Formats: sequence, structure tokens, C-alpha cells
Amino acid sequence: MPNVNVSLKDMQKLVGKRLSLADFKETVLYAKGEVEAVDGDSITVDIKDTNRPDLFSAEGIAREIRGRLTKDKGVPKYKVRTSSVSVIVDKSVAKIRPCIAAAIIKNVKINEETLIQMINSQEKVCMTFGRKRKEAAVGIYDWDKLKQPMHYRAYKPQAKKFIPLEYKFEMDLEEILLEHPKGKEYKHLLDGYSTYPIFEDSKGVVASMPPIINSQLTGKVSKKTKDLLVEVTGYSQKTVNTALNVMVSSLAERGFEVYSVKIKYPNKTIVTPDFLPKKVFVMAEDVRKVSGLDLDSKEIVNLLQNARYDARKKKGKIECLYPAYRDDILHPVDVIEDVLISYGFGKIKPKPMELAVEGKERPEGKRARVVREICAGLGLQGVLTYTMSSKAKQVEKIGLNAEKEQFVELANPISESYTVFRKRLYPELLQFLAENKHYAFPQKIFEVGKILELDSKAETRVSEKDRLCIAISGKGAEFTVIKGVLDAVADNLGLKYELKGNTEPALEKGKSASVAIGGKKGLVGEVNKTVLQSFGLEQPTAVLELEI
Amino acid sequence: MELSQKVESLSEIEVTCLKALDLKELKGLDEIAGSARIPIDSVRRALEWLREKNLVEVVEEKDERLVLTAIGKSSLRKALPERLFVEALVELGGRGSLDQVRKKSQLNRPEFNVAMGIAKRNAWISITPGKETVLELTGLEKELLDGEYALEKVLKAVSEESRQLNEKALKEALKRTLVEAVMSVEKRARLNKEGEMALGMVGKVKKRSYNVHGAVPKIFIGKKQPYAQFLEQLRQKLVNLGFKEMKERLITQEFYNFDVLFQPQNHPARSWTDTYQLKQPKFGKLPDKKVVAKVKAAHENGGNTGSRGWGYKWSEEIASRLMPMAHGTAADSRQLVEGIEVPGKYFVINRCFRPDVVDASHLVEFNQFDGFIVGEGINFRHLLGILEKVAIEVGGADEVKFFPDYYPFTEPSVQLSAKHPKLGWIELAGGGVLRPEVVKPLGINVGAIAWGMGIDRLAMLKLGIKDIRYLFARDLKWLRKSKMVVE
Repeated sequence: MPNVNVSLKDMQKLVGKRLSLADFKETVLYAKGEVEAVDGDSITVDIKDTNRPDLFSAEGIAREIRGRLTKDKGVPKYKVRTSSVSVIVDKSVAKIRPCIAAAIIKNVKINEETLIQMINSQEKVCMTFGRKRKEAAVGIYDWDKLKQPMHYRAYKPQAKKFIPLEYKFEMDLEEILLEHPKGKEYKHLLDGYSTYPIFEDSKGVVASMPPIINSQLTGKVSKKTKDLLVEVTGYSQKTVNTALNVMVSSLAERGFEVYSVKIKYPNKTIVTPDFLPKKVFVMAEDVRKVSGLDLDSKEIVNLLQNARYDARKKKGKIECLYPAYRDDILHPVDVIEDVLISYGFGKIKPKPMELAVEGKERPEGKRARVVREICAGLGLQGVLTYTMSSKAKQVEKIGLNAEKEQFVELANPISESYTVFRKRLYPELLQFLAENKHYAFPQKIFEVGKILELDSKAETRVSEKDRLCIAISGKGAEFTVIKGVLDAVADNLGLKYELKGNTEPALEKGKSASVAIGGKKGLVGEVNKTVLQSFGLEQPTAVLELEI
Repeated sequence: MELSQKVESLSEIEVTCLKALDLKELKGLDEIAGSARIPIDSVRRALEWLREKNLVEVVEEKDERLVLTAIGKSSLRKALPERLFVEALVELGGRGSLDQVRKKSQLNRPEFNVAMGIAKRNAWISITPGKETVLELTGLEKELLDGEYALEKVLKAVSEESRQLNEKALKEALKRTLVEAVMSVEKRARLNKEGEMALGMVGKVKKRSYNVHGAVPKIFIGKKQPYAQFLEQLRQKLVNLGFKEMKERLITQEFYNFDVLFQPQNHPARSWTDTYQLKQPKFGKLPDKKVVAKVKAAHENGGNTGSRGWGYKWSEEIASRLMPMAHGTAADSRQLVEGIEVPGKYFVINRCFRPDVVDASHLVEFNQFDGFIVGEGINFRHLLGILEKVAIEVGGADEVKFFPDYYPFTEPSVQLSAKHPKLGWIELAGGGVLRPEVVKPLGINVGAIAWGMGIDRLAMLKLGIKDIRYLFARDLKWLRKSKMVVE
């Protein structure tokens, strides 16, 4: 969940009230935030909701807190002045990255804190709400360095050159994708296209290559910058508008002037930013039903006003207008949560529940428990290993044919030790013994756990089975002993078993067998010398593995 | 102590040892162990006891021995650099340039320089400087080739523990750390007067009383793995609280892990870096077409749920992809799809998987405890109630607090922080009221609440573990010593 760094002093300025750290800790809950760390004036807030990009900045958090602590309630009103600036969208971007929204911000006074907040919230909006720049990529430019109107169009890879951010020389579009760190990171977003989107001014001066990188000359904002151009590209007008509203409303919170921009698509023209509130209806009855709180319509309306809604009773329902920087309300329950947050989670009393239902353990869990008890009774030490394993252990070390052995296999392993799900338990126990050779013998261990096999008939194409494995190691770990263990396990489970010829190559010929027990299978026997050696085991070792 | 008392206190081994000793002659430990037929360690211990009782005299003799060092051993086995140097020259016909000799001898630069210095000092070679320095054997190298080289002879003599050593060569061997001197202490013992008298009284005095304080051999009992036992006990508790256990699975369709839970298909949490994916098998079956169609509608436009949905094109192919379970909630969603009793209380303890770097606080395999409750009139306050109960009764918490939280499948969502007697305030569980987009497509129209709890931290606490890797401990000694958890 996004971490937002804020300064307590800056927060006081934005809220317009003296706030102690304790006050802030208390009220930041209303912004779905929790204080993670404090370092002097600097506070790290964890914002829990990834669908609330409007909370990813100090300005946004302060806006929520004001709703609770000051008279500033309801949907925030931002003045948008009309400008003559337009962005002309060429049809060449229609299939690549079709949507854009933009705004001009004038008379900005950027201090250190404003700059940090702007850059951080831009980053977080792109990463979380923008799905790693795919759905929304934000660019902020020094407007004084650009001449209107702006153009959004696609160019062939070699047809355009500019100096990308943090570079000193010009690169063409292909070079940027192949060589610039951001190009490499986001190249996949433009995969398969023969032309790439460019955002440039009327003179052909490049502002950026969305969604990859800004220009070093025009797309770099400093404390000296006076006027800003903010732009968002993506695939859905609704999404880019929301992202733009998030960025612009935060800047408006600092008192800067917002100007609109005309977006001229080949077939229509729209004006952004659009701060018209959105609407949803909630039934007071549903609020009571979901929350379990006895709230009347008036209380609900008040709580919503604090939560920056414009709410009123209308024809038996509650009409809720919510700010245009929010796009997280999919269902009235989302409003209900805001009512409860506004009410304060700390004030909601837990309620005991009396349901006339009976608990029940699953049969496989019961069986595993009994089997573990039998094993403990046999003097064996229980162990627990991972279900993920490697082919080295599951195939090579136990003398199987790598080509014939199929596994449930990971597509994206991050370690060589965990690439497949185990099909057998005993290699895991042999490995365990190999790591404990320096302790007292005999070593007698067991595990009850799952193994996974491919199974085209199962709905997950995998059959998951519970197995018991026992390994004994040290002087006298012979077939007769491990068979005695098998006898004891079978007897205590009330099962009969039969032994047949062994086909497991890891076990000593003539001193091993496959087991048929209660309609299930298993194996028993002495581990042969080659396999002992491959695990680095020096003591004679015998194993028993049964499906349970 | 009276002599008779001393005799009475003698153990069998002490008596055996006394019998093997002589009044005059000092005997070494080996000799005593041999004649008494007991292990040398027992002799050593018995002599200590006997010395304390002042029945024997023990003499310690320090001895200095020469031994080969690791380099010395390998030089003896593989030959000294100077030999390799000379042999290389011999192979070159007795004459060669610096480079030729170095290549032929395969010595590294420092070894080569040492070898050349020695060869020159012994006048085995002559060196003619020039554009290319030329080395030539002088004939005196015969001493080396005939096996008469003093240093080699010393190494061999040391390895054979011979005492006849060429002093000059030994000095060089010590300087070149081919040989080192080690100190050893040798103990020898004999009876003293009192010991002899004691020996005479053995058997005539009443036998030594049994020592109940003595150490006894260690017994390793059979027992369950501590974490496995913890999980069993947790299961029992939940069953006692009226919960039905759901089936644990390791592999699931994304449908249950994400789609039923209203996680949009383009969400970063579904990406390669955040969850494991399978190379094989790749796709599983989806349930009944009607259920799939309703889940699809919930994602795309809300369907019958009263939601506007996420507004994108939902893909059946993505939903049928298989993956290792990323969270226990996937068991909830499968149960909700496969059918539930209303009212009903369900739980699962499920092995889950995430691609993470394993360290003291992260595992790639871990267990999650998840549960849900459905019933007419079930609401958010009931959720707080059950979370509080579980935190106190299962988690051992003293006090709880609730905070807003976010999950794609619940709204309102809550995080429970619990005050633990040892850990202080910790985030223990998360949950919420299941979203209409989750339950309505499955035909559930009553209140439904769900939660999940990381139980690994609780287990660590209960088992006294600081490093999470010990939940799957690979250390037999630790497992053998681990305490049985009572509860």
C-alpha cells in the first residue's frame, strides 16, 4: 500500500489548524491512513486504499482532515479558468494510446515541500492507480518553455529526436526504448507498434514520449518554474480525467490558479479538467443493514458531509455527490464504508453472534492427526519441509529419468531450490538427514504432508495427495526394521497391506517393495548406496512412504 | 576422607583402572586402556577422579613434535616448486628462456621466483641475462634428481616421525612453513602408597552407594513437529468455536484466487512479480457457465449486483489460468461457489505461496488462516465481534483496536490490531463485509463477512522462535529439544 511522506508543519498549513502529532495520528485514520514512522517533522503515512490516488499526497490527506476538524465540508470547489490552450490529438495515436487530458496551472510558487509532494504523488498515481503507467501516465512540464497549441501524435522510431530526462544528448525514439533506463522499464507498454506517441508543442519541441519519458529541456520542473502544464495519457478518458483531477486538485489546494485545456480529438472536442461531481444514491436502510449501526438519514448525511460528499435526502434515498478526483465508488457499499470511517471505527461496538451451527473437522485433517500420533508413538521426530522443491532433489539425486518425470512446475521461480512441487516426500527427508549428519544417531524422522501430481482429469489438472513418509538412519536401519514400522502403522490404522516388487530405483533391489494399503499405494525399503552417496549420507538409511 | 570411605566411593571403572596401575612404573593412558580393556576416555576420567582422591600420582610430560604443515604435505605429495622448476629445464633439454621454463613448469609467478632463487643458490642453474634471459642447468642438479636433496629428505623424515634430521634443511623447512613444531602433553600415572593400600581393600569394604545425581544417557522421544502441532491445535479450537473446515488446496484457478474476489484482471497484484504462476499445467476448468457469466458481468458492468463494475473486458482465459494459492481467501471463494450452508461458519488453514526472498521474516511458503460467516442479518459489527473473539481466544491478545483497511473483495474493510502481552500492538488480522460483487453473482443474498489472519507470527511467538525459517526447522537438534506446546 502506498507510503506517503508528509511534513507536520506543512500539514498544519494545509489544514489551517495547529495539529499535534497525536492529533494527526488520530485524524489521519479518516483519510484511510496510518502513521508508519516519524522522524522529526517528517511523517510516513501508509494509505490503505490503492483505489484512492487522491490520498497519495499531503494536500489530499489534509483535505480529508479538514472535513473533520474545520468548517470546510462537502465536495471541495475548485475554480477553473478558461484558457485558449488546446491539445490537438492526431488520429495516429488512436490505436496506440488514444486518450489524453491536460490542464495549465499558473502563478505557482514551488517550495521544497510542494515539489516533493508533486513528484511523489505523480509517481504513486502512475504506479498504483495508473497500473504501472499502463492505464495512466502523468507528465508535468514547464509551460513557459512550450508554445501552444500542443500536439499529441505518433512518429516513426527514427523520425523524432530529443534529450530525455537526466540525459545530455539527443536520442531517437528507438534508442530511448533500448537504452534509457525508463525506456527499458516501460518498453513493453509500446510493444508491437511501429510508431510511438509524442507530446510536442506547435514548433515541434518535444515535451514527452508518453508513457515513457519527459524531455530534459521542457519536462523538468524546478523551484523557479512559474507556470505548469499537466498531462495524462492512457486508454480510457474516465481514467485519465480522474488522474488529472487528482494532480490538479492537489495543486489547487496550494492556492495555484487552474486553467482548462481543450482536447481536440479528430471527431470531438472536450475540455479538461472536469471537476463536475459524480452522483450515487444510498439507502439509509442499507447503511444500517451493512453496518449494524442504528443511524438515521440525518446522521448519515452529516457523516457524509464530513467525508467530503455533498449529501441530501431525496425521495426516500440519500443523494451523494462525490468529488471528481475520486473514481473508487463502484457500489453504494463504498459510500457506506465512508460513512463508517466518518463515524469512527473506534466507536463501533463489536457485537457477539449466536449462530446455531456446529464445527466440523475435515476427514483428511483428522487422519493426518492420527497418523502423526502413531508416528510419535513409534518414537519418530516430526519434521516439516516445503512442498516446493527442485528437480535436482526430486529426479537426479534419486536416480530417475529427467525426461520422463513431469511435475507441477513454476513459470516464474525466483530460486533454483524451488522450481517444482514435490511428487515424493522421501527425497525431502533424505535431504533433511543430510543436513543433520553431525547429530546423534539413530535419526528417525517423519512428515505428513502434501504431494502434487499432474492429473488431466482433475479440474485443476493436479491431484493433491496427503502422504506419510518415515526415514530411519543409523546402524540397523534395515529392511526388517522399516517393515516393522510399516506393520505398526498399518496395524494401528486397522489396515492390511500387501508387498509387491519394487520399481523405485532409489531403493536397494531385494530389500525394498511397493506397498498396496487400503486401496492406496506406497513404498518401503533400504535406500541404495548410490542414492545415499548422492545425498552425502554415510549411515544406512531406510524409508517408508504411504499415501494416507 | 578416611581410606575406607574412599574405597567405598570407588566406581567400577576406577577400580579397573587402579588394578591396571603399578606402584613403581609410570604407565601411559594407552597402555592402561589396553590392559584394562576400557576406552581411553574412561581412563582419562577415572584418573582425574583417582587423583582427586589422592590414590594415584599423575605425571604430565610435555613433548614437542615436528609435523608437516598443509603446504608441507602437499609439497611432499606433489613435489616442491624447485623440483618442478628443474624438471621443466630437464625436459627443455637443459636450457631455456624464462618464459619457456615458466610455461613448462606450470608454476605461478611467486612460486617460480622462489624456485629459481633456490636453484641458483644451490648452483643447479646458471643465468645469462640478455634480451631474453637464458637459464641453463649446471650438472649439479644431479643431487636433486638422484633424490639427495636435503630439504626433501627432511620432509620425508618428518612425515615418518624419524628423529634424524639435517639441521640446516630443517631450519629452511621451518622457515618455508613446510614443517611446524606442535606441543603435546602426555599423561602417565602410577599408584601411590595410599592407592596401593586402597587396592588391597577393594572388595573387603562395602560397595559404593548408588549416585542418583549422575548423568544418564539422553533419550530423544518421538513427537510431532512443533509448528504442525500448533496448526493442529488451532484447527481444534476453531472447530470448537463452531467452524467447519474447508479443503486445503495448493493449486487453484485464478478464478478463485482473484476473479470471484472481484480483483480486476489488470491489477498489479496479479502480476508475475507478486504471485507465482505455473509453467505446467497452465489452465484449469471453470465452474458452471452460469456462475462464470455472472462473475464476468460483475467485473465488466456490475451485472445484477448494483455495482457499475470495473469497466473492462473480462477474459475467461485469464480466469482459468492455474497458480499456487496466493492467499487463504481463495479457499473461501471456492467454498462460496461450490455451495454453503446458511447460516454457516467456515475456516481453512492453507499453505500459501509468494515469490519473496527468504529471510528471518519472509518465507515463500507460509500458512494463512481464513474464515467467513454467512447468515441473515450478519453485519459489520458481528465481524468486529468475531475478530475480537478470535484475536483473544486464538491469538492470545489482551485488547484489540480496529482501523480502516482495503481489500478488493470486502467493503467496509477493517484491520484488527491486537495488544499482545509480549509483542505489544501488532496487526493481527484483516477482514470485511464481502462485497455484493463477490456474493451476489453466487446467489448469496444474506450478510457475509470474511477475514484472514497471518498465523505464522502467532506460531513464532508460541514456539519462542525469532527467525521465521524455524517454523520449517531443518535442525534436528533444535527439533529434538523443542518443547511440547501445551494448550
